Amino acid sequence: MERFIADLVKDFEKGKINRRQFCETVALAATVFAAGSAAQAAPARGLKMLGVNHVSYACADYRVARDWYAKVLNTPIYNDKGMGRANLAFGPEQGKGGQFLITRNFGPNPPKPAAATVDHICYTVANWDDTRVNADLKAAGTNPVGRKGSVNIYDPYGFQVQISSIDGENPFI
Amino acid sequence: MFGLAATKLNEFEEGKISRRKLIEALTLAATATGAAGSARAASAQVGVKPALINHVSYTCPNFKQAADWYSKVFNLDQVGVKDTEITLPFGKMGEQPYNVTAKDVPLTFLLVRTRDGNAPLANGQPRPKATNLVNHMAYTVADFEPNRVKAELEAMGVKNVRGTGPNALHMDDVFGYDVEICGLANTALTDGA
Repeated sequence: MERFIADLVKDFEKGKINRRQFCETVALAATVFAAGSAAQAAPARGLKMLGVNHVSYACADYRVARDWYAKVLNTPIYNDKGMGRANLAFGPEQGKGGQFLITRNFGPNPPKPAAATVDHICYTVANWDDTRVNADLKAAGTNPVGRKGSVNIYDPYGFQVQISSIDGENPFI
Repeated sequence: MFGLAATKLNEFEEGKISRRKLIEALTLAATATGAAGSARAASAQVGVKPALINHVSYTCPNFKQAADWYSKVFNLDQVGVKDTEITLPFGKMGEQPYNVTAKDVPLTFLLVRTRDGNAPLANGQPRPKATNLVNHMAYTVADFEPNRVKAELEAMGVKNVRGTGPNALHMDDVFGYDVEICGLANTALTDGA
């Protein structure tokens, strides 16, 4: 961004762009930066993945999971009508790439044994600091265990929850 | 932002600030949204504030078969191939996650693996037996339009594609796991509302 603005100043000084163009371009650059750089359009064929939309988490009592995740992950709660489910939001703004966790009661039928399972979910915390993350998780009543840049905790139903930095878990490292 | 740019440009032209100060001020202002988000995250007093899901760990009988299915359906590359697992990032190296401005948040990825779910933890401790179930995973795709997406999925041979509303479709993956795909309009405020 700095390089871009420096070039823009240079163009303004040389008279390549006028005052209005300069201000408009800076404003546009800020908007584009805030929106993220990922291309949003679907490819001509197939699907373009933007990210996880939600995780559907079923358990014996959704309220236990709801309260634990709301506390440990600081999530606001939506759509809890006392009907056996609640949504817990995190990440970017909802509708603009935001994600959520649905905590829900098991339905009337017991879950079928599955050939495939999701055995844990890992969440990224920005601006990572090992000492602070461990202290904040302990303050929330959990027992974090891990390594530099990554810790694991277990929720009330024994499900593994990993919390990581970009260095602790990165698909390209 | 337009107003701030005009003001700073005035100050620069009047000699009140240097060229360097002008560039620094505009760079800072243009990137402030993401920085403010990170600062708020840092101030959490109890617990943490996730910026995004980092990865989903998916265990199945044949990780290569599952990885190929997810690659085909979601156009995902396969990286980090190991003896028992494959990583499928939701984008290319160097890309930012969708609408995330903080620079220290990596692309989400699917970690597809085959392993013994009862094996002890790395530290030798017994692995807790989970009594919950992640009964489906939902992914957001660009330009979601149910009829077009359903036709594309069926053309790819995806099984049991079924609609569940204007913003979502469910399907079975290659191991019968329930996968949902959604548009951006499916949110914590609308789902189950």
